[in-house]
Amino acid sequence: MLHILNPGLQSTLQGAPRIGTRHLGIPYAGPADPLSMDLANHLVANPQNTTCLEITYGGFEAVIEQACSIAITGARSDIRISGNPAPAHTTLQLQAGDTLTVAPPLYGARSYLAVHTGFQATLHFGSTSTYLPAELGGYQGRALIVGDILRPNQTNLFKQIRKTPDVIRPVFTNAFALRTCTSAETHLLSAEARETLFNANFIAGRQATRMGISLTGHRLDLNSDGMMQSAAVFPGTIQCPPSGEPMLLLCDAQTTGGYPRIASIARCDRHLLGQIRPGASVQLLERSPKAALADFSAKEHLLQNWLQTN
Amino acid sequence: MPHRLIPARVADDVFAFTVASPQQAQTLANHLRDQNMAEDIVAGLNSVAVRFHPARALDVAAWLSDIQMPSEAHEIPTHVHEIPIHYGGATGPDLDRICTALGLSHTAFIDLHTQPIHTVEMIGFTPGFSYISGLPDTVKIPRLSQPRPRVAAGSVGISAAFTGIYALNGPGGWPLIGHTEEPLFDANSASPFRLEPGQRLQFRAV
Repeated sequence: MLHILNPGLQSTLQGAPRIGTRHLGIPYAGPADPLSMDLANHLVANPQNTTCLEITYGGFEAVIEQACSIAITGARSDIRISGNPAPAHTTLQLQAGDTLTVAPPLYGARSYLAVHTGFQATLHFGSTSTYLPAELGGYQGRALIVGDILRPNQTNLFKQIRKTPDVIRPVFTNAFALRTCTSAETHLLSAEARETLFNANFIAGRQATRMGISLTGHRLDLNSDGMMQSAAVFPGTIQCPPSGEPMLLLCDAQTTGGYPRIASIARCDRHLLGQIRPGASVQLLERSPKAALADFSAKEHLLQNWLQTN
Repeated sequence: MPHRLIPARVADDVFAFTVASPQQAQTLANHLRDQNMAEDIVAGLNSVAVRFHPARALDVAAWLSDIQMPSEAHEIPTHVHEIPIHYGGATGPDLDRICTALGLSHTAFIDLHTQPIHTVEMIGFTPGFSYISGLPDTVKIPRLSQPRPRVAAGSVGISAAFTGIYALNGPGGWPLIGHTEEPLFDANSASPFRLEPGQRLQFRAV
């Protein structure tokens, strides 16, 4: 049991994305960095998509009211248990009375805190993931506030100590190189704008939310009259409104939109989007869909090898 | 004569079809969803997107290479839902600009909007957001060049000749003409959406 003393900027419970409901206008939600959440869950022997706490920009503090087994992954933050440094990517045993703190990260944006058996959460449309705009899932559909109490589904402990192997531990810096495919309206970009899109360094804008991140530093010249027929968008889609400032969509992305879709981040690199914070450098590397799927398969193979290790 | 539809690749894990109308998009999307091959099938106004799991890439490519437009079922519902709208003011900040662009007075615009029976063509964007046809095709309102970071739930916008209603707070790029108090989404209801594709609506000025 975690009694929240400071939730930080935005802490929400996240489980599986809501796959299969986009035609109802219901976004995926789920972790902004699903790879880090998978790794956290495995460290406490939870199945994938077990409900975890997603902490944004650290500044998190909780007091433990009953012994539990946890793990923390994601952004590079100083973690302390009752003042003593504790490692990320490692099973941690907490005792009643311990204080857990996660400091603002040096790199990356979001930390994932998994507890053995998962946190109790509300189920909406088959998932516990918090989707804030519609108050779905999670802890009463909202971000945590001071005084909230998070309870694990069961109180038993996981007494092994697991550590994520170095080879699959993502290391975040302030620069992101993301494999990217063209999309439905890439052809609306001028030749020069297309060149810029796939070669320039963009800077992540100040609006960096679970819905999207603007990419600043270059304005793209687009042949559009603003009258496009609304069409499906997904996490990873890059839209370009007439202002020419691309918008990268994340896990809470709306289901359809009317701005031209000029590119899509390849599935193998979408987990990184949740770690981009304002001011980070973002470079898009053009890949064919076939090459991008091969890269996904390679990454997934490496991950599943570890997730299936006991 | 049914013709084969050609899928375009719009992401490494998404194909899309282009179709002629919102009705065709709904019909094709429902048909594809019944086959249970993909993660999500999302109708746009003139398109259908199919997002698949990479492990099924080859199966999905083979499946989508041989898709024909299914014949459409034409059932026009008789019931007309009434949606009250408060036009203009602080909650319809773009009404003046739209009236100017169309060369209409407020009253003439409100008549234009409240007289026809409108049809819900698509639900999308966010839970409960409805794309509603019914304005004449001569109305061509572009989206805002920069979306607003926050639009209030119940806001009513116009884009091209579509009316859209925001059921939730959130960002939005449609110029806003007014606001409705009508609830459109209830997460805890067994049927959480008041509006569905195919429904007929009439707006009433309040």
